[in-house]
Amino acid sequence: MKETFLIGQIIALASADGGCELRHRDDAGRPARELEPHADPEDAAALALYDDAGNYRPLKTAPNLRHGWRLALDGQEGLRLALELFYPARLGAWRVYQRGRLDTTPLRETLGRQTGMYRVTAKLTDEQADALVGRFCRSDGGCLRAIFWRRDRAGTVPSTRLPPEKFDPACDQTTGKTLAEDDVPLICQEACNLLVAEVRAVVKGERPAGE
Amino acid sequence: MPDAPPAHPDTALLIVGHGSTVNPDSGAPSLAHAAAIRKRGIFARVGCVFWKEEPSLRDWPFLFNDDSDIRQVCVVPNFISEGYFTRTVIPRELGLDPSAAVTHRVGTEQRWVYCPPVGNHPAMTDLLLQRAREVAPGVREEETSLLIVGHGTGLNDNSAVAAKRQAELLRERSRYAAVLSTYMEEPPLIADWATLTDTPNVVVVPFFISDGLHSYQDIPVLLGIETEPTASASERLRGGEVFAQNPRRLHGRSLYYASAIGTEAHFADIIVEQALGALAPAVATSA
Repeated sequence: MKETFLIGQIIALASADGGCELRHRDDAGRPARELEPHADPEDAAALALYDDAGNYRPLKTAPNLRHGWRLALDGQEGLRLALELFYPARLGAWRVYQRGRLDTTPLRETLGRQTGMYRVTAKLTDEQADALVGRFCRSDGGCLRAIFWRRDRAGTVPSTRLPPEKFDPACDQTTGKTLAEDDVPLICQEACNLLVAEVRAVVKGERPAGE
Repeated sequence: MPDAPPAHPDTALLIVGHGSTVNPDSGAPSLAHAAAIRKRGIFARVGCVFWKEEPSLRDWPFLFNDDSDIRQVCVVPNFISEGYFTRTVIPRELGLDPSAAVTHRVGTEQRWVYCPPVGNHPAMTDLLLQRAREVAPGVREEETSLLIVGHGTGLNDNSAVAAKRQAELLRERSRYAAVLSTYMEEPPLIADWATLTDTPNVVVVPFFISDGLHSYQDIPVLLGIETEPTASASERLRGGEVFAQNPRRLHGRSLYYASAIGTEAHFADIIVEQALGALAPAVATSA
């Protein structure tokens, strides 16, 4: 089957009948008989829920998508729904970016907006932010999104510990190579709730900011 | 339930859930209800957003932005109480007008209609009663106390109101010897169940959306039926075992503990009704 595009760890292949098949990109060359067959786009929710070891995946853009499945889809609506369940809101974010209308939110504003048990996150120091973002968001083991937000309104880089490619939507965060024109990068417009929860743990001394 | 409502090709449904960064069971009911509603073909699109999972509430600009036929979005909080989340967090994170039920989005020109949470629906009383009977079949209700457990929080005075109202409605039916609303974080505390009741049987129904952290792990410890929080429901391969050992003998009573009310498949109907119910007056106004 012919490759059509990549999104995160997923490859979309064009099937002979005009439809499309999604797989983990590591499984692109495996014989179909070795992969667990799926044909309902709703199955994507369950496929995205646990990693290969059976651990819960709260962050869908973490590089731990499970292997060993193929999902056959016969229309655009099925493809859209499946990708929405694998990588929630990421197609929409890419669309808004392409239209030049992506609003980003600095980390300091995200933390300053919190109430209740997360109000304490505003106390994160710049040094902690640098170490934490460098650890938590890194593409190797953390998250495959390309970061567009800054640490503050002054435009400070979120972490000096991340390579320039981490902020480049043209870069394939899995391989470090350049994405093809039809590939879809995973855009990060604002610190996610998992990072905010991790900030709370760091501020409260439950976990170190860096490695 | 009424007959299937007519299709709304210009309307999307957005279910708002709490979700969890550690427990896969927290967001599961919202996702399951969304899938069930999608199959009915009532709305042009059905999606979920979460406070602690993805897509995040803050991802709202990226939802339903590729279909110009979608003119309105019904936002239904899959939350029990009208409190901190429905009044503070959800409107703030979704960028909704805090003073109006309808927010007009610049750019897409969509109208986003903020609907009441599922916990406000009149069917809740019957669902709680049904759960209580299912978990304790055949017990003499006149010798039984029914405890509805809510979260309760100091962050918003309204958080405890939903459970309190349901307890009042259930008391009016005069079936159980006593019906009490209890809470995890404010008095009357569910941890004090043995002193709050004096009947031989006690039935506890969590007024929660999911069998996540609170109903599956925290409340069993507060009740004394577990000594420490267990693994999550789906991590325990014999799933549902917290609920499978009814009744338990504690403090000389028979204690029956039910699963969270929000796992009931009927909640999908309630979500649809909260959406269409909020839409009806808006449609009438514009007609």
